[in-house]
Amino acid sequence: MSLANGSNENGKKLGDVYVVTSGKGGVGKTTVTASLGAALALKGKRTLVVDADIGLRNLDVILGLESRVVFNLVDVAKKVCKPSQAIIKSKKSNNLYLLPASQTDEKDVINEEDIKKVIEQYRREFNYILIDSPAGIEQGFKNACAAAQKAIIVTNPEVASIRDADRVLGLLHSRSIEPQLIINRIDFNMVRRGDMLSVHDVQEILGIDLVGVIERDEDVIISANTGEPVAFNPKSIAGQAFIRIARRLCGEDVPIKNYIHGQSFWGRLGRHFGVA
Amino acid sequence: MFSALSKFFGNGSSKSKAKSRLHLVLVQDRTGLNGDEMSDFRLDLLNVLKKYFVIEDNGLDVQYQRDSGSTTLSINSPVLRRKPQVVLSKKETVNAAPAL
Repeated sequence: MSLANGSNENGKKLGDVYVVTSGKGGVGKTTVTASLGAALALKGKRTLVVDADIGLRNLDVILGLESRVVFNLVDVAKKVCKPSQAIIKSKKSNNLYLLPASQTDEKDVINEEDIKKVIEQYRREFNYILIDSPAGIEQGFKNACAAAQKAIIVTNPEVASIRDADRVLGLLHSRSIEPQLIINRIDFNMVRRGDMLSVHDVQEILGIDLVGVIERDEDVIISANTGEPVAFNPKSIAGQAFIRIARRLCGEDVPIKNYIHGQSFWGRLGRHFGVA
Repeated sequence: MFSALSKFFGNGSSKSKAKSRLHLVLVQDRTGLNGDEMSDFRLDLLNVLKKYFVIEDNGLDVQYQRDSGSTTLSINSPVLRRKPQVVLSKKETVNAAPAL
C-alpha cells in the first residue's frame, strides 16, 4: 500500500515510475529506456526497466538479455510466477533489472488495473521504474501509462514525430501525468544549415520542460548490435548525454549541450531555453 | 557551379517549411477540426465580424497556442472601421461594439 507521500507503511520511499513514450514508432523509446536505466544504475540507483510492448518485445534484445528470459510481465499479472522470478539482472550492473514483455500475447491480454498491480509490487524494491511504452495510443500505450506518475516523451526533431508527440501530450495531460521531453537524434550540423528543427524550435512547439538532448550517434547502433546499452560506453556522445539526463532526473542541475554559430556551448536548462 | 549544386541539394531553408507545415497540422490536430472544417470556421468568424466591422477578407488570423498542456484560441483581425448601420434592432443596438 502506498501512502500519499509516496512511501509505504514503513516510511520507505517507493520508487518513481516513469512511462517512456512517443506516439510515433522508431524514435528511440527502447534505446532511451535501456540507456537511461543503465545511467541511473551507474549512479547507484536500483532501477527496473519494464517492456510493456506485449507481443513485440525489444528491451531484452537491446540489453543483451534475450537468452535469459523465462517469465514475463503477463506471467506476473496472471500470477503464473512470483514477481521476483520474472526480473532479470543486467550483465553490466547489479542495480539494473529487466521485466520483459511476453512475445506471444496481444496487447489487450492485460488491462490497466492488471499492470498497476504488477508495478506496485516492484515499487518497494526499486528507486526508479521506467516503462517502455509501445508506439501508438491504443491499449498498449494506456497500459504503459496506467502505473506512471511521470512521463518522458521522446521525439526526433522532425515533422511526423513532433506531431505524434503533441497528440500524446494531450492524452498524458488528461491523465494528469507530468511530461518531460527528450529530443533524440539531433544533428547540429543540419540545424546550423537550416535543414533540421533546432532544440528551441521543438521545445517552443511542444511547450513542455526539456530534460535532455541526444545527438545522432553511430555508437547507438553498434551498441544495439552487441547488446550493451550505449550509456555503459563512456566514449560515446549519446552515452554521455544519457548520463547527464540521469543526473537531471536525480535533481542535479546539469547544463544542456547545444550549438550556436558553429561553436558548442553549455546552456541553462529551462522552458525558454533557446537559440540555434 | 556551387550555386547549381546547392540548388540541387537544397539551400537550407527546409526547416522553415517544416515549421510552418507543423503549425498548420498541429492547429488541426489540437482542435480536432480538419482542413475543411477550419475553413468553414474561419468563414463563419469572418461573417460575424463583418456584421459589425469593415474588415479585410484575408486578414483574419486564427491561432492555437499550447502552454503547459492547455490550448488557447486567439483570433486577430485588422479592423478598418465600424460598419455603418442605418437601422439596428434594439437587441443589435445593445450588443453592437462601440464606435472606433
